[in-house]
Amino acid sequence: MLSIIHSMALHGLDGYLISVQVDVAPGMPCFEIVGLPDASVRESKERVKTAIKNSGIDFFSRRVIVNLAPANIKKEGSNFDLPIAVGILIAMEKVQKHEIQSFLEKTLFLGELSLDGKINQINGVLPICIEAVKKGLKRILLPKENAKEASIVKGIEIYAVDSLKQVVEFLDNEKILQKESEWQNEKLGDKKYPVDFSEVKGQETAKRALEIAAARWT
Amino acid sequence: MEEVKSQNHGEISLAHCGVLFLDELPEFKKSVLEVLRGPLEDRIITISRIQASFSYPCNFMLIASMNPCPCGYYGSKEKECNCTQEQIKKYIGKISGPLLDRIDLHIEVSGVRYEKLRNQKKGETSEQIRERVDMARKIQQCRYKDNGIFSNAELTPKLIQEHCRIDDKSDKILEKAFEKLGLTARAFGRILKVARTIADLEQSEKIESMHVIEAIQYRSLDKKYWGN
Repeated sequence: MLSIIHSMALHGLDGYLISVQVDVAPGMPCFEIVGLPDASVRESKERVKTAIKNSGIDFFSRRVIVNLAPANIKKEGSNFDLPIAVGILIAMEKVQKHEIQSFLEKTLFLGELSLDGKINQINGVLPICIEAVKKGLKRILLPKENAKEASIVKGIEIYAVDSLKQVVEFLDNEKILQKESEWQNEKLGDKKYPVDFSEVKGQETAKRALEIAAARWT
Repeated sequence: MEEVKSQNHGEISLAHCGVLFLDELPEFKKSVLEVLRGPLEDRIITISRIQASFSYPCNFMLIASMNPCPCGYYGSKEKECNCTQEQIKKYIGKISGPLLDRIDLHIEVSGVRYEKLRNQKKGETSEQIRERVDMARKIQQCRYKDNGIFSNAELTPKLIQEHCRIDDKSDKILEKAFEKLGLTARAFGRILKVARTIADLEQSEKIESMHVIEAIQYRSLDKKYWGN
């Protein structure tokens, strides 16, 4: 069966949509990733395989082909671990969510997997979320550590996930994930610094120049 | 700081809206320092790679420090410098004129005399300085609210003409300084911007001649060490 999962990568400071297409078919066991993956993406094969196994799910030996589209752009980073793993599980029909196709069309998956199935922090979540809103996506599943940063962006539901197991349970309709609450501006208190300008002996010109520099710039 | 090979942003983009402090400036590779010129003016850096080019914002304040020569005593009154002219020239020459021209405030920090070190009198506290700085920033924000900028540093040549008017007396002083110090056209705008800030710190609406004089003073070091 074929499954298509949305994910995103960074191009400079802009996010761009990557569709992770996974096909699982009977045949000679193999696991290929195509679509110009760099070394870090290619290595995700081993992470995904082991994480699925260590999350207590049987990983049958099948012919697994993963395509990262558009296939002419170089992909880097470990953002695609989670979408690849989810894609494989759906293609293997390991999760039974009601109306899964329409759910996947509006959902973005991001995250790096560790071997025990835990989902690790990734970089560049903020621009990705902004782009996701522009693309009309409804929700993002991302690592717990990135949830606070993502919640700054309005107009999209953020779900923080901790492990692959949690994602599977969510997709299996067994458990409901809590939506991340909206970002609240924190008031920065007056910081106490251990050093003070009054402790600098002499050097009036240097202090004056620093003052001018501070005053002309925001 | 180094020449990056990947598409990732470097130190200057990480310093966006903050301060980048480069200690011992001549120890950096010359190619790295020269690359700073464009971003310092444009506040944006474009990295071109085989696949594509990427632009990152880099609106940062550059602070740098250096010694006058390898031994550190060239021009000092306390101790004699034992570097050769050739060594000094090579060391100082690592900082090019165009880069220096983009630094607005040059100051020489000399050693502190013993009496000053023993002096128990405390200077101004950070809190007091901060109050003045905050005030000056507020004045700027207020003045530029229709121009879409926040500070004197962002003034364009057209806005300089509008907001940094000086009287005839200051004009004469500037003219003289120009001839004596061999300043560039870029330095002219920058001196006016600094003078504007000094006036703002004193909450003075008009730029007085003493503000201009102080601003010029911060540009005299390049003549002393870099002018031949």
